[in-house]
Order: sequence, then C-alpha cells, then structure tokens
Amino acid sequence: MEDLRLLIVDDVEDNRLVLNAICKKLKGFNIKEAVDGLDAIAVCEKWHPHIILMDVMMPNLDGFEASKIIKSRFPETIIMVVTAVIDPHMEENMSSIGVAAYVHKPIDKELIRFKIQNFASVLRLKAGQHTKLSHKNALNPFSADIRNFRTIFDINDAEGMMDFGMWILSRCDTNVLSSCIKVDSMIQLFYDLMRHGIHEDNCLSIIVEESFEEIFLTMKFDHAIVMKPKTVELVNDLQFCCIIRENIACVRLEINNKHFTAHSPLTTNITAKPLHSEPVSKSSEPKETLENIQEFQSDKYRRTIDANEQELLRQSFVHKTAAIDYVQEIGGDVLDEIRDLESLDEEWKEKLHTFEADPTIENIYQFTDRVLGVYIRAINNLFEFTALAYALASLGTFMKEHADGIISDPEKLKTLVMMTEHLGADLVSWREHVFELRDTADIHYLDSSFFSSCMQIEQIIGSKEIVANDDDGMEFF
Amino acid sequence: MAKRVIIVDDSRAVIATAELALDEMISSGVIEFKSYLNPAELLGKLQSGEENFDLLISDVNMPEMNGLDLAREIKKDERYKTKPILVLTTESSNDMKMAGKEIGVTGWMVKPFSDDKLVKSLKMVLGV
Repeated sequence: MEDLRLLIVDDVEDNRLVLNAICKKLKGFNIKEAVDGLDAIAVCEKWHPHIILMDVMMPNLDGFEASKIIKSRFPETIIMVVTAVIDPHMEENMSSIGVAAYVHKPIDKELIRFKIQNFASVLRLKAGQHTKLSHKNALNPFSADIRNFRTIFDINDAEGMMDFGMWILSRCDTNVLSSCIKVDSMIQLFYDLMRHGIHEDNCLSIIVEESFEEIFLTMKFDHAIVMKPKTVELVNDLQFCCIIRENIACVRLEINNKHFTAHSPLTTNITAKPLHSEPVSKSSEPKETLENIQEFQSDKYRRTIDANEQELLRQSFVHKTAAIDYVQEIGGDVLDEIRDLESLDEEWKEKLHTFEADPTIENIYQFTDRVLGVYIRAINNLFEFTALAYALASLGTFMKEHADGIISDPEKLKTLVMMTEHLGADLVSWREHVFELRDTADIHYLDSSFFSSCMQIEQIIGSKEIVANDDDGMEFF
Repeated sequence: MAKRVIIVDDSRAVIATAELALDEMISSGVIEFKSYLNPAELLGKLQSGEENFDLLISDVNMPEMNGLDLAREIKKDERYKTKPILVLTTESSNDMKMAGKEIGVTGWMVKPFSDDKLVKSLKMVLGV
C-alpha cells in the first residue's frame, strides 16, 4: 500500500508544527496541513486524506461543521478531533457524525501516535496488507500466522457450550446467519465432542486464535478424543476445514468470506438502529402463563421513538434551501449517482412483487439489500438527507426483523408491499422535484414525512403503538 | 349523507396510511375520501367549484406549495371560510402552529399519527 495521507487541520501555526513533528516520526505517512475547516474540505476534495487530525475552534468553518461535511462526502475518511475544549456534548455530537476519536490538548504525543498507528493498521488490513505473523506457540495445527491474543472458553456443561455458540454466531453477519452452514456444522461437531468427551470433575476448553483472514477454533480435552460414527460424519462434512489430532479438534473459518463476516451492507455508512421494541407490560420473572402467551401472541408492542429519531422527525428547516440552488452546489459525480437510481425504480417494484408472489427470506433480502441498500448509499453520499437515509435503513431493518411474521400473514404482506411501493413512488417524485425539475423551494420537503411513513408502516405491520417523547397528538385551536 | 373528506399530501404513503386508518368510516359510508398529491391542483379545482369538501386534511411541506399557503388561499374564499382544515404534518414548532392558528386552521396533528387519534379527531370535527 502506498503511504497513507494524513491531514492536520488547525488554525494555529504552532499547533500544526507540533502535530507535524509528532506525526513525522511515524513511518508510511504523507502529511499535509490545512488552516481551517474550509481549507480542510478543499484539501479533501483534491487529496483524499485517509486520516485527519481536526481542531474544533477555527475561523471560517469550525471542526464540527467541517467534519460533518467531510464524513458525508468521504465516509471512509478517519477523523480524529484534537482540541482543548472539554465538552461531553460536543464529543457526543462528534461521535454521532462519525468522528472516530477525540484527543484532548495538551497533546500526549505517544497517545496520538498510538491512535494513528491503530487506525493505519486497520486501513492497511482493509487494503489486504499486514505484516506476516509467526506465532511460535500457535495451538491450532493449521497456521502459525496468528495474532497476539487468544479467547478462551472453559466449558463445563451444555450451558457453557451454548454461551460459546452464541458468541461465535454473534460474530457472524446477521444478514447471512441463515447461511452460516459451516459455523453450524462446527457447532454441531463441538457439541457432539463435548457430549461424548466431557466427564464429571473435568472440563474442556475452546481456544480461539485469529489471523487476519481466518479464525481457528480449537477444542482441547485432557484425554485423547474417541471418534464415534456420528463424529466422523460431522468431520467429513467439514472436509479440509477440520483436523482432529490426539486431544484436540480444530476447525478453521474464513473471516472475510460471505459466510463469516462482520460487514453488513445496510450499515456501511449509516447505522439503522435495530428497532427498539419492548412488551407493553414487563414481568420481572418470565412466566409462561396463558395470559403472557396471549399477550405475546396479540403482538401488542410499543415502538419508542428515541431522541435521535425525534430530532430527525421534528427538524424544521428554518432556512429553506431551494432545489435550484442546492443542485448547483453538489458535485457532478454525486448527481450522476442520484440519476443512476432511476434504473432502480423498476427493480423496486419488481423485487417487491416477487416477494409478494414468493414470500421467502431470500426475496425480502433481495429487496432490502439490493434495492434499499443501493438507495441508502446514494442518499448518504449527499450530505443533506440524513433523515431519508435513516428512514430507509430503519425500514430495511424492520423488514428483516419481522420477515417471519410478514411471510406468514398474507394480509400484512399485501399491506407492506402496497405501502413500500408508495414509498418508492414518493422517492421517485422527490428525485424529480429536487434533482430533475428543481422546482421545489424546500429540498427537505419529504424528509421527516418519509421517516414518519416508515414508522407508520411499523405501526401497521408490527401492530405497534408509536410513542414519541413529545407526543403532541392532536391540538385544536 | 356522507361527509366529503379531502387529504392533500405529496406523499402517496401518507395518503395510503390515512386511507387505511379511515377504512371503516369510508366503507360504512360515513365519509367520502378523496386525495390530492398536488395542492395547487386542489386549489384550482376548489376555486373553479369543481371540488368541494366538508373537511380538508393538509400536509405542510409539499414541493409545489406550502400547506399553510394553501389554507390561507382557501380561507380567502367565502365558500370555504367556515370549513374545517386539519393540518397533518411532522412540523411541530410553535411558530408554525401559531401561523396555522392565525390563518384559521382548526387543528394540528403531528405525524406519525395513530389510527385512533385520526379517527377520533375526524369524528369530533365532523360531528359524526
């Protein structure tokens, strides 16, 4: 990988000199400076830095506004805020726009180098470059190229095994959980070995070692493993991914293939929080009484609108931006990407109708990932329409989480398809008014309304009561 | 006789949601339900006498025309001066509400709305 580009943004020359001197000692960096937020954006447009050290209080455009714009246009850029201002509220705001780290002045040079090195390692890893490792004490028989840590599970019983199963599944991408065949086979094998291999007064360990591409799960007994016919079958299923030798059984799983990855297409740039649902009445001790079961079956849930969503919903754009002015400001590339969405209009309908005709998990994912995912990325690349992107991501999450309920209820399915088709038409109309006709006096006319419609869908399909903190309801004059 | 309820909102999804919420009132013949995506089109039809309503439900932020401007224009017309207009919007600032009140809108309902609240509000305003 070529040298990483590091940009130092500070209006005070002395501060820039100090930071430059600190960073110069790091190998593999090309360093530039900017004197304020506006200058930083200009440098980003031309130079595309990997990492930015950003001051907050600056003339012309402060660090917060500059970071917001940079993260919207270049979401991959890592921004570390370096400031003398100690303000938890500001840190929270910075974090919400995607700032990766916050460093207080006076500068701890070792700490700042350490943080930069960490981010640099992640960037190099993403580019497929990392230093080859050779760990002398690797336990797994597959590779000595493992990282300098291990995760160890001491397992005494089936419950401990379940904890391990939960841990490994939680590291799978939830979008492809249903296709984690290899992980499932591994869990079955380990469960089978545990049942036959664990005796009273002893326990077994599962030691997890990781390289940058693979994860090695080694089950270690204090006695030699005896293979039962069923165990042999399970090992054969795993083929070359499993080795059983004396008292250890080891399975290797790839981290970056589609069956075992921590990357979700819907959460690339914007995080749609999983819908936060709670039963209306909570019992401190779960009891399977008839009443509880009926309450659960009635599916009467409450969808609480959190503070962030509240803000997105209620934002009133006092200074309206006309479409004609807005489109002039944005780059041609971004505009092209929005125009490309036209090709998705038919797909939006087609994928929905396919799902309606053949309601399967796969078909719902075809819509959420192939259609909604593309839309979210394109809208995210504009830095103005956070509520729209959030609403779409939230809708995708809702559809996935409620897929079973939707699939099994033809009425819900029909309503969801109808409503989602309307949402698609609303987006087509929004694109026309903002980007093609450019005739609207307020580019944000759809934002909160669209988000609200997505919530109404949750209300209708999920049988949820929407509860806002500032629930105004109806006000008569 | 069925009361004529018109909703004007640029969003097809909002119109569909309201129609679902009012389904029972529509199917039982208590109300006639008509929707418009474009406020300017509705205004034109109201002014020419081609359209009429017993209750208008209007969004605020729409691409062609602001819902409060629409209400203001409608209220200028003697035929609709006393007809109720409900605003259905995500806007909840007091300034906006005050502007609505001054124009003469009857009530302000914030999205997302619950079906019950919408139905109750309609029944109350229409006296049905």
